[in-house]
Amino acid sequence: MKVSLNHLKKYVDINVTAEELAEKMPLAGFEIESMEKQGEGIKRVVAAKILKITPHEDSDHLQICQTDIGESEPVQIVTGAQNIKEGDYVPAALNDSFLPDGTHIVSGKLRGVESHGMLCSGEELGLTEGDYEGAGVYGILILKGEPVPGTDIKEVLGLNDTIIDFSITSNRPDAGCFLGIAKEISVVLGTEFKSPETSYKTVGGNIDAYINVSVANSDLCPRYMGRMVKNLRIAPSPLWMQRAIIASGMRPINNIVDITNFVMLETGQPMHAFNYNELKDKKIIVRNAQEGEKIVTLDGNEFALTPDMLVIADGKNPSCLAGIMGGKESEIEDDTTDLFLECAKFRRDNIRHTAHALGIHTESCARFQKGVDINNVEYAMNRALSLIYELDAGDIIDGTADVRGELPKNRIIKTTTDKVLELIGVDVPKDIMISILNKLGLETTLDGNEMTVSVPSIRDDVEGRADLAEEIMRIYGYSHIKGRPMRGEVTRGRKLPERVKADKIKSLLCAAGAREIATYSFINPAAADTLGLKEDDERRKMIKILNPLGDEYSAMRTQLVWSMLSVISTNLSRKIESARFFEISKRFKGELPLKAQPHEIPVLAIGIYGEDEDFFSLKGIIEAVMKLCGAHTEYRRSDEQYLHPGRQAAVYANNTLAGTFGEVHPAVAEKLGIETRVYVAEIKLEVLYGIKRRKPTYKPLPKFPAVERDFALIVDVDTPIGDIQKAICSGAGRLLEKIKLFDVYTGSQIPQGKKSVAFSVWLRSNEGTLSEEQTESVCTKIIDKLTKIGGELRK
Amino acid sequence: MREKLEAIRRAAENAAKEAIDEKQIEELRVKYLGKKGELTALLKQMGSLTPEERPKMGQLVNEAKGQVEKLVSERKVKLKEKAVELKLKAETVDITMPEKPVNCGGLHPLSIVTNDLIDIFQSMGFDVLDGPEVETDHYNFECLNVPEDHPARDMQDTFYLADKILLRTQTSAAQIRTMETRKPPIRIICPGRVFRADEVDATHSPVFHQLEGLVVDKGVTMCDLMGVLEQFAHEIYGEDVNVRFRPSFFPFTEPSVEVDVSCTECGGKGCRICKGEGWIEILGAGMVHPNVLRSCGIDPDVYTGFAFGIGIDRITTTRYKISDIRLLFENDKRFLEQF
Repeated sequence: MKVSLNHLKKYVDINVTAEELAEKMPLAGFEIESMEKQGEGIKRVVAAKILKITPHEDSDHLQICQTDIGESEPVQIVTGAQNIKEGDYVPAALNDSFLPDGTHIVSGKLRGVESHGMLCSGEELGLTEGDYEGAGVYGILILKGEPVPGTDIKEVLGLNDTIIDFSITSNRPDAGCFLGIAKEISVVLGTEFKSPETSYKTVGGNIDAYINVSVANSDLCPRYMGRMVKNLRIAPSPLWMQRAIIASGMRPINNIVDITNFVMLETGQPMHAFNYNELKDKKIIVRNAQEGEKIVTLDGNEFALTPDMLVIADGKNPSCLAGIMGGKESEIEDDTTDLFLECAKFRRDNIRHTAHALGIHTESCARFQKGVDINNVEYAMNRALSLIYELDAGDIIDGTADVRGELPKNRIIKTTTDKVLELIGVDVPKDIMISILNKLGLETTLDGNEMTVSVPSIRDDVEGRADLAEEIMRIYGYSHIKGRPMRGEVTRGRKLPERVKADKIKSLLCAAGAREIATYSFINPAAADTLGLKEDDERRKMIKILNPLGDEYSAMRTQLVWSMLSVISTNLSRKIESARFFEISKRFKGELPLKAQPHEIPVLAIGIYGEDEDFFSLKGIIEAVMKLCGAHTEYRRSDEQYLHPGRQAAVYANNTLAGTFGEVHPAVAEKLGIETRVYVAEIKLEVLYGIKRRKPTYKPLPKFPAVERDFALIVDVDTPIGDIQKAICSGAGRLLEKIKLFDVYTGSQIPQGKKSVAFSVWLRSNEGTLSEEQTESVCTKIIDKLTKIGGELRK
Repeated sequence: MREKLEAIRRAAENAAKEAIDEKQIEELRVKYLGKKGELTALLKQMGSLTPEERPKMGQLVNEAKGQVEKLVSERKVKLKEKAVELKLKAETVDITMPEKPVNCGGLHPLSIVTNDLIDIFQSMGFDVLDGPEVETDHYNFECLNVPEDHPARDMQDTFYLADKILLRTQTSAAQIRTMETRKPPIRIICPGRVFRADEVDATHSPVFHQLEGLVVDKGVTMCDLMGVLEQFAHEIYGEDVNVRFRPSFFPFTEPSVEVDVSCTECGGKGCRICKGEGWIEILGAGMVHPNVLRSCGIDPDVYTGFAFGIGIDRITTTRYKISDIRLLFENDKRFLEQF
């Protein structure tokens, strides 16, 4: 909320500088968004009297002025403006002066004539008409009266105001107005608060003779108050009011409109002025809009209304969008003679929905959305009438239309000083507690330790002892709080087992040279097509975000591969030749349409590429992860659409499918702009989390030597190496210590459709050195097994 | 014969001195001391001597043999040493040549910071929990004292997936789930991913990370909150930083405070980093709102508690002086390798 500091001084003594105030208020809960000092940046600009004007010989528009700037000799300044005459007082920026926009003025020559400065317009000094009369004129600003030449222009123009933008938290709508913030300042500074005038005189008559006010939906409009003002004398509002309005970011229009806006800024209570003569049937009906009704608002836009929107209607049509914006038809214009003045409370969520639905944002609806105090309605109305009276803007008719139920009473909070202090842990003296609350308008009495606090409806946010604690501390000062170490029962901080395991997996992957990445949880739903997922693939059923930032981020991901590939694509495009990446995050799976929270499935994604990487480097990483988790792994052929059909596998951990991995399908890679071979994996961590890793038990180190035997055999080219390995293992039985593939070969000397495979096998017994016979017997068993899968020993 | 012996001895001596490698010395040994060596041959000629002379001569030959043997073995050691020396010299490497790299990967900077935070709070006895990223309106707003028509809902732009189902806007939702299932004393943190409908720019990301902390027990006060946050601030920002509370508003805490630390760049004097204020806002905190405790079945007249929410991304960007939050999600390898 922007507010003029000079204006605030009308309500409260501010005995500190703007800077000091800006330091103190945040500590009481009101942050300063910005502080703008009027005239800041203006240097060496003074009031000058134009002594003589002569035309410039080489120009048809320049004029040469001799000016009195309070020095012994006149100063010559050349200007292009035409609105000046000899004897005028004007702002002159002297040699080496600065204007608010940073312009530096120095002496120079204009078409050969020396000029020792510049005469300034209002705009050049950063002024508008509201700041100083004539400031909006095109041309030089002509100063009022006869200021002493040489006087600093800021002094002459009264540019000593500071506009402070206070940030008002949403629990304190009451502070979002001049009076509210002034009250807070008075408590913070310990100075007096002065309420503005609210009295006025009426001219008799009775409102009932003019208008009939009814509220059809009192739920959405708990209070509606109206007054009549006749014989309007529309004129500009006084400068002080205009300045206050401009400082707060609004535009002055005329005295009546300005009063409604000013009272809103001052009291926080929006008001609306209707042109009485445009109200059909002399009726005001607060009701829901009817299907098909339309309204043209003050800004000339037409809106189609729906029955959930509240309107202020006359006998025929909606005349105002309740709390949001008035209708064009009943607008106050220069020739309006009679006024119906509205001051009401509307329900905040209804105003919010309507404003949101119609895409309108006004100062008024912002305040209704935050919530206005039902008891403040009458005060605001009186303040407005008092201003109408003071400015002689019209004749106030007797009688008030006030449609409402029973007004809320003050909330009574009964608690004890101990209960309040218990939250804070600081011993605030009782008398200080009571005095702070009373100053804040929370009438408090103390009986021993028993506190009774009477909370007016304007401080609806104060509900109990916690709120009282906050009110006391923000004034008493949070600097009184001294940290102390945690007390109480000693607790042991533990991580969830899933996190512990994920951390271990991450460590392993880091040791394997992989970098962890972080990508968004939502993706472009087109990713399913990019990956070429089948029509019936579960992963096509993505949960959509109803209000996404764009298509790109509109669906919750059902896999992490696409994000991984996007990251790899980015890195490749930046000429990064190789990388190992991993990410642990969640994929989302839910029944569509979504009725409940979806499953969040923790997943590990791995992506690698580069000269030294291939299918088996990835398999090695996966095997290491599986081993870490204590899983017994198995690899089977898989059918993942985004992977190379011949270079992919499904990995099973203890017979449960954990995930798939392999080389990215060239067609998918191409779509992503990837021109190199990339390998990705996606592993469901739940499968790994579920595995209990057996605690290792020590086995004695071998005492007897091992026997090494090589097996070279010819098998069908399609025979999986894994099958051969299994055959050897089962043949060797418990004497097997280690098995290692050392050669796979196809080509010359090997029959067509066959391949040569060679393994080294180490056998060892714990009971003694293996004899030749024992070894041979095992080898025979191995060869038997190999023969069974179609293997033929190479001689 | 004596002259002969002397001549052999001298010749052997000279040869030993001149031998330049182990091979020559071995040849030398064979030549003089071997079975067919010259000294051995001399011994064999002893038969031609008189019995009186034989022992004398024998002694002399053996002496000479011993001398030569000694010379040979000494020379051998020296030459070996020299050979080793030469070999080592020849093997000298240029230590400024590049190493054979060990390709270590590494955690994402966000994880590094998260782990640091977890360590701090775990050491203070906080359990580390997780919560769902997709939340219900009930847990994300309602139980946190943000009723439907409350203006606080405007403070955060929420991504909705369906009616009353949304992407959590704060890790605070985990507070409720914890209090529903645990009984005081409660000390937990919940780090995790949160979402807000912010357009992406250098300082805003629709996906970011928070760490929620919650303590509920008898007699918990704001001084305990300050104590815990001081510990945290000292670990993260340095032992000498000061911490201050500034009143603020969050629907789920009362009193609510913004927590500032004295600017780590200027020490509180005011600089460009702290915008001249001397303080940097680091997190929001407060005493758990009685309504929140009540909605979780905890009697606010018996128990009090505090909660805080730390922005992990913010700490990460300030710690590493990362000027653009988008870098965190772009995952350029050259960026990731810096941490």
